[in-house]
Amino acid sequence: MRFLKLILVLLFIAVPLVASADKAKTIDELAKMYDSSSCKGCHEDIYTQWEKSHHARPLMGVKGGLMLSPLAAKKGTDGATAFSEDDPKKMKIKNYPCFKCHLPQAITSAEDSVAVELTEALLAKDKVKIAKLQITCIVCHNTKAIIHKRELGEPEKGVIYSTKDMGAHPGGKIKKSAIFKDSIYCGQCHGLGPNLEFDQPFQCANLYGSYLHSYVSGGGTQTCQDCHMQKGDHLIAPNWNDDKGTSELLAKAISLDVQTLGYEWLRKAKTYVPKVVVSTKITTTAGHRIPDG
Amino acid sequence: MVVTAKAADGKELGKVERHYHPQATNCRDFKMKYGAQWKVANLRDTSLQPGQAKKETIEFELPEGVRNADVTIELFYEASNPDNKYPIHTVTRKVSLDK
Repeated sequence: MRFLKLILVLLFIAVPLVASADKAKTIDELAKMYDSSSCKGCHEDIYTQWEKSHHARPLMGVKGGLMLSPLAAKKGTDGATAFSEDDPKKMKIKNYPCFKCHLPQAITSAEDSVAVELTEALLAKDKVKIAKLQITCIVCHNTKAIIHKRELGEPEKGVIYSTKDMGAHPGGKIKKSAIFKDSIYCGQCHGLGPNLEFDQPFQCANLYGSYLHSYVSGGGTQTCQDCHMQKGDHLIAPNWNDDKGTSELLAKAISLDVQTLGYEWLRKAKTYVPKVVVSTKITTTAGHRIPDG
Repeated sequence: MVVTAKAADGKELGKVERHYHPQATNCRDFKMKYGAQWKVANLRDTSLQPGQAKKETIEFELPEGVRNADVTIELFYEASNPDNKYPIHTVTRKVSLDK
């Protein structure tokens, strides 16, 4: 009986340890868990495109900013948010609702200690450490590849999801994702509007909502991938760190027509008012509102 | 978009701005918020919409004696902050009141 008790006690202690062993305790562990650098060996062009993309720096914002800094700020201080705490050690994964899209692997695969380490890194402006956290190939080609989980189950570990079944592959078996070519795939993060599922709602991207309710409703049929991933481009422009490329992309999508007129307006008898009239007309070929994200 | 009218000597005759973007508050007051952490819902949306043209008519009254104006229309995108601009189109026109 004593032996049985001992086994039960050991099991009670061991099970949580095994469970927590599946999750990353540090930023380095999380980065390693989702490291996709081995993809580069065979997919160098795609990998290079991705390296320049915002998916490769989801916590860095535009031009080196640290977009999560307000959440890391000490509660009650200027610039702090409703998600901030008075001590970095109190920060948990749930204090970073932005992880829903900016680092989805943190929700599934990280301990709260990663949130503490990230908070300390944000306060120290340690960009080298924060830059290790990326939306890697595995995140899109596995973690976010299945949305019909009741019917299709969770993404399988070690499987790479893509546009078609391809069987064996050096990095893992390739299976078809039902949504990989559909806008809803991107819409998982490039969102519908307010995120009301959290205990404090917040609003980030409205883009997929705009696509559904303005573009599709107007007869639009192109997908996000049709425009932003032409020929499989994994830069998925715009890259806001590339001024020239971004201006060119915007100029391609947005047209400006200008008409001018000069004349003298007769306000009342013998009272002419010289006037210049400028008429502008802006049109866009984008399948969503501009600006959005 | 910034529309500027200048006289031949470079003196500014008028300047008009139009801002196209969704504007959100935290739904607890009427102050607009920047940043997803503070925004809760859009209050107003002046952004460019798919399939819809955005039209403006802007008028400048010229001072006495000024018969010509150089008009510049600058359309640009601002990301993160108003100082981070991406030029999209710049159109210049000379407008005269004399035939």
